[in-house]
Amino acid sequence: MSNIYAALELGTTRTVLALGEMSQSGRLKVAAHAEIPSTGVRKSQILNIDQVSHSIRSVLREIEKKQMATGSTVTIANAYLVVSGQHVKAEETQSSVTVSGAKVTAEDVNAVSEALHSVALPRDRELLELQEQAYGLDALEGISSPKGMSGGVLKLNAIQIHADRNRINDARTAAANAHLEITEPLFAASCAGDEVLGEREKQSGALVLDFGGGSTGFAAYCDGYLAHAGVIGVGGDHVTNDIAQAFQTTQAQAEELKISAARAALSPDGGDERISLAGTTPLMETRTVSRKALDIVVNARLKELLGIIRENLEDADVLHRLRHGAVLTGAGAAMNGLDALVHRELGLSPRLGTPLHVDGFGQGAEAASFAAIAGALSYAHRNDDSKSLFQTIFGGFFK
Amino acid sequence: MNGSSTMILIGVGGAGCSIAQEVARGFGDGVRLAMFDTDAASGGYAAEGEFFLVGGDRLSGQGSGGDIVGARLAAEDSAEAIDAAFEGSRLAVVVTCLGGGTGGGATLETLKRLSRHGIPSIVFATTPFAFEGEKRLKNARGIMSMIEEEASAAFFLPLDKLVGGEDNMNEALARARDTLSSAISLFWRLVEKPGYIKLDEERLRQIISDAGRGRFAVASATGPDRAKKVADALLSSPLLSDGSGPVKSILCGVLAGDDLRLSEISDIADTLKSAFGDKCAFDLATVNDEENFAGRLSTVAMMFETAGGKAAGSDEAPQRTRHRHRVSSSAGSLVKGRFKNAEPTVWNGENLDIPTYVRKSINIGR
Repeated sequence: MSNIYAALELGTTRTVLALGEMSQSGRLKVAAHAEIPSTGVRKSQILNIDQVSHSIRSVLREIEKKQMATGSTVTIANAYLVVSGQHVKAEETQSSVTVSGAKVTAEDVNAVSEALHSVALPRDRELLELQEQAYGLDALEGISSPKGMSGGVLKLNAIQIHADRNRINDARTAAANAHLEITEPLFAASCAGDEVLGEREKQSGALVLDFGGGSTGFAAYCDGYLAHAGVIGVGGDHVTNDIAQAFQTTQAQAEELKISAARAALSPDGGDERISLAGTTPLMETRTVSRKALDIVVNARLKELLGIIRENLEDADVLHRLRHGAVLTGAGAAMNGLDALVHRELGLSPRLGTPLHVDGFGQGAEAASFAAIAGALSYAHRNDDSKSLFQTIFGGFFK
Repeated sequence: MNGSSTMILIGVGGAGCSIAQEVARGFGDGVRLAMFDTDAASGGYAAEGEFFLVGGDRLSGQGSGGDIVGARLAAEDSAEAIDAAFEGSRLAVVVTCLGGGTGGGATLETLKRLSRHGIPSIVFATTPFAFEGEKRLKNARGIMSMIEEEASAAFFLPLDKLVGGEDNMNEALARARDTLSSAISLFWRLVEKPGYIKLDEERLRQIISDAGRGRFAVASATGPDRAKKVADALLSSPLLSDGSGPVKSILCGVLAGDDLRLSEISDIADTLKSAFGDKCAFDLATVNDEENFAGRLSTVAMMFETAGGKAAGSDEAPQRTRHRHRVSSSAGSLVKGRFKNAEPTVWNGENLDIPTYVRKSINIGR
């Protein structure tokens, strides 16, 4: 019997719960997943705990139904939480110790690592991730393994990603109301990055852009490690809202226009083209909107978003190190023309990011939309050094 | 202070207070003036109007030190005093200089409170010279879109447009102050001393209602061909070229003595209309003031890229909410749409919940 891992995403537009298990071939696969449109979440932040609890109960029931249909029963008691939103921040940090002898020993390396992990965050922040980058020894930087080297002060550089503790606690409360315990909150963009990037891409420098409904996360990898990350509180919902405001449509009509017709990159063709927009009720006439105007509205928003990310990467002195390109994930990743716009605005070759380590999320755009939650399942598997832990998590197992 | 006017002039920040005073001084007792600053020193030279020290407990009257957020919080602390200053007002003209802390932060809070009281506001604001540094420019750029959101109409005066590289620094600053104070003075006079074609407060409220971002220029001339000189000066003003979209409405005020001729009015009006398009809404107002304008013809032209309220002579209802390209006080919640109650996403002072095409004044056609 294999272990089962659960991951939960409380997104702005959808709530997703996925179960992963090891297949007989030794790869992680999706045992079941369920998604429903979210309520009570705006811009990746919970505004109504009761509604979110209801959504969580719905996806739990959905999973249970799917499992029953396959003759299995499962009670999910615990899940990893995929977190995004503009309250998530990334910071560079560093620890240092005096080398005990003439050369760096394993104890020195352990000591500098312990010192790093003992750095306290403000009380209102909760650590999502602390990723070690490279060592420094006196003035020498970028050391991957300092053991045996001569020097006086050993430093360890890292990136720490943390979130507003209250926002995480809101998610915990919503989950607890649905009888689900949050195992650990994880940063969505780095979950996606670890899932869709190969080691060579991380080495040569790659950017993961995780396009969510309420926010857009990014994670930049250089020299094999996470070099910079962040979240901009602008997502697909903003595109929808801009369309609704520009053409005086309902949010549903705007969403439909975004999905079916909008293009992120401006195109010289289609100058006079009109796009039909069905009325919201049978008595409402069908109207049309200008293709060119729609593209301008969408392009302005996404160009601005990418410009902010570009500025962020330039400030961190990272953009020029991303030689491999950009990998697009999230529900908004497949928008028409987004790849071309990413190339134009960031100067990076784009591709869709699909899960490398978890099977069963489909292919192409659909798979890219599950990259973060797949990454959370992979993380759960990688950190599964105590099988008994998961045996306590699940009240029942697949029969 | 003039007790009969329901229009109030508000200076915010050190430079804003100073310019507002200059306007009030030039106008005599016809201007109701309130000044808000975080620096107590501004109160020392406040010979006209009423001075309010903002955030005295928080900043100890020492100024904001360029901190926009601090200045805004200081203004929030003084909300009661600010509200009291508005009492009885139905229209506010706010003058400020962007780039520093109080001019940005306290102006925003002032506008927000005006909006909350249902008082339309017209903002005149300078933006910094390029040499003042990227930080001040960035501060100003960020705050401009938020001012547009809160104000009914906003005019930004880019100081770099007024001067050349060889200009003496003091002369350049004086010219900027003169341009701004002249525009406000002429504008004030249009309302307070109406001539044959009146611009009373009610009509002005309609015109500026949701007018959004605008451009303005002033010109003055004497002599037999003064109308042509004025029209030429307006068209060649660098301030009128500082727009991103076509002009949708024009408010033109013509001020002169008793010798004002009808042909002069029509010359100026025709020149502006033909330059900016016959289809744009055109509002005209005149002032006959022999005492101050004998032999002289002055004009203030204000242009908006969005057709705002009811056009002159039109019985149509004001175009307020449909297909608007810019932000205004009532538009704030409209354009934020589904984000209106959410914590705003702010980047470099811009509220990203407002559609990009609105904030950047991008003409989307349709």
